[in-house]
Amino acid sequence: MRRALPDLLWTLLLAAVVALAPTVLKALFAQASVSYLSLAANAISLAILALSWDLLARTGQLSLAHAAFYGAGAYTAAILAKLGGLPLAFDLPLAGVVGAVLALGLGSVTLRLKGIYFAIATLAFTEVLKAVVQELPTGLAGGAAGLNVPPLFRPHFVPGAMQRWEIAYQRNEAYFYVYGGLLVLTILVSVLAQRTRLKAAFTAVRTNEEVAAVMGVRPARVKLLAFVLSSALVGMLGALEAMRLGSVIPDGTFAVSTTVFALVTPIFGGLYTTLGPILGAGVLSAVEETLRRTFAEGYLIGYGIVLVASILFMPRGLVGLANRLARRRRGTPPAADGEEAG
Amino acid sequence: MLRVDGLEKRFGGLAAVSELSFQVEEGEIFAIIGPNGAGKTTTLNMISGLLTPTAGRIELAGRDITTAGSAERCHAGLGRAFQVVQPFPEMTVEENVMVGALYGKPGTTYAAARRRAEDALERSGLDALRTVPAVELTLLQEKRLEIARALATDPRVLLLDEVMAGLRPAEARLAVELVRGVRERGVTVVFIEHVMPVVRDLADRVLVMNYGRPLASGSYQQVTADPRVVDAYLGRDDDEEEDEA
Repeated sequence: MRRALPDLLWTLLLAAVVALAPTVLKALFAQASVSYLSLAANAISLAILALSWDLLARTGQLSLAHAAFYGAGAYTAAILAKLGGLPLAFDLPLAGVVGAVLALGLGSVTLRLKGIYFAIATLAFTEVLKAVVQELPTGLAGGAAGLNVPPLFRPHFVPGAMQRWEIAYQRNEAYFYVYGGLLVLTILVSVLAQRTRLKAAFTAVRTNEEVAAVMGVRPARVKLLAFVLSSALVGMLGALEAMRLGSVIPDGTFAVSTTVFALVTPIFGGLYTTLGPILGAGVLSAVEETLRRTFAEGYLIGYGIVLVASILFMPRGLVGLANRLARRRRGTPPAADGEEAG
Repeated sequence: MLRVDGLEKRFGGLAAVSELSFQVEEGEIFAIIGPNGAGKTTTLNMISGLLTPTAGRIELAGRDITTAGSAERCHAGLGRAFQVVQPFPEMTVEENVMVGALYGKPGTTYAAARRRAEDALERSGLDALRTVPAVELTLLQEKRLEIARALATDPRVLLLDEVMAGLRPAEARLAVELVRGVRERGVTVVFIEHVMPVVRDLADRVLVMNYGRPLASGSYQQVTADPRVVDAYLGRDDDEEEDEA
């Protein structure tokens, strides 16, 4: 716990930055700050997706079910809103609980599978869950057409007191705070997993499950814990996204691309670290946005090339690259692969 | 302390171990020797829970652990060092040992685990190397790390699988001292070994296995004088015996 202190301070600093960012952006960019806040929320969303996925990856399990828990959270929020609408304070934890419970069920059955078999089982689970949601009574879940989700925030225009664009600003500012809050929560979970005894268990299970067990670690429990935490967090993200985007639809909400982004981002940024997935989300969002503005058509091809090249040339991601450069500057010989940042 | 009763392991039609029974007393150093393929490592794997026996029973301090998982056995007091050293490659020496210290016994506080890890590092002569990445160790150091990790789990019975293999005579002597030190702390030791002088120096009792079955058991002098053991394992010509330690 004591070793977590420096990281917790960093997290606090980040929380302060999140708290100040909208005001600063508005002062600097006026109307343009509306789209900056929206882009920032996208980047934060990707960071939460990636960091929560990385939590499970730290135990050596490659999950392709992240979209399933994301979708489960999204549908939880949508259905709750339809049934009467609870305040966010209830919606969000409930979406997390749904994610956690599903992970508990899926994990108890599939976490004994290793490597590719676990990955396949989780991919199948995503498809099954999507089909189940689609087959739910249309009155409840909307079938293949999905559901509309009322927005979380509905700022009112006050003539004279504000300009037109300030409505959008207020809405985006509010979402930015909620996303920032969930990011801080995700970072806290990640930091605790890195700076407490969990780190030893996660790494031991990832690198040699049998030896870890002989040394008293219970691999099944460790993996299940990581899976539940990971899925609860992404379930909450799904709920927020449903409210921000305004609708859920099986094909979109349970999209495989969600899972792909969840795993590509940490690989790009640096696996098994807190910083890596966040850094990866920031850089990838910026790259994507720049490419999109430069080449409106086919920008995704460029994005793909950037990803493939970076994975080829930075096998340990941005964080690994930074460590390598830092070592070179210090003049120490490249040490083992084990270099990891918090 | 450790009791094995009618243990059997079949892989398909092949019995790797059968009709194996022995008992190790508390504080004893017990050696298992025999030719390659005699079933020694299979036996150790069954005791530590990496393999499930097809028949028989294993008891640790009076408790039946035949079907318990590896982690449960560790919590019950079983420590294991592997023949093929398998440190966690991404961790330093100290972090490797901390895994055993933190999780070897349920309910260990962080501070207590820290102390136990320090103690294990010191006893294994690794305290100067604690911050070194485990992948940079020499073979002797890796073997010490294997033992240190097992010690950090605070075992009542320590299983050692060919800890001396690949070590030079001087190194093997250090390892022998290390194992003696372990026993002085009241830990029961069961070890597999090919280096006969090490067996002579360490073992209170020796079990000889051949073709998965017990061939003979007794003191080092008794078993090495047994003509069946000489035929099956040691060989008639005494010059063949390695004189390493």
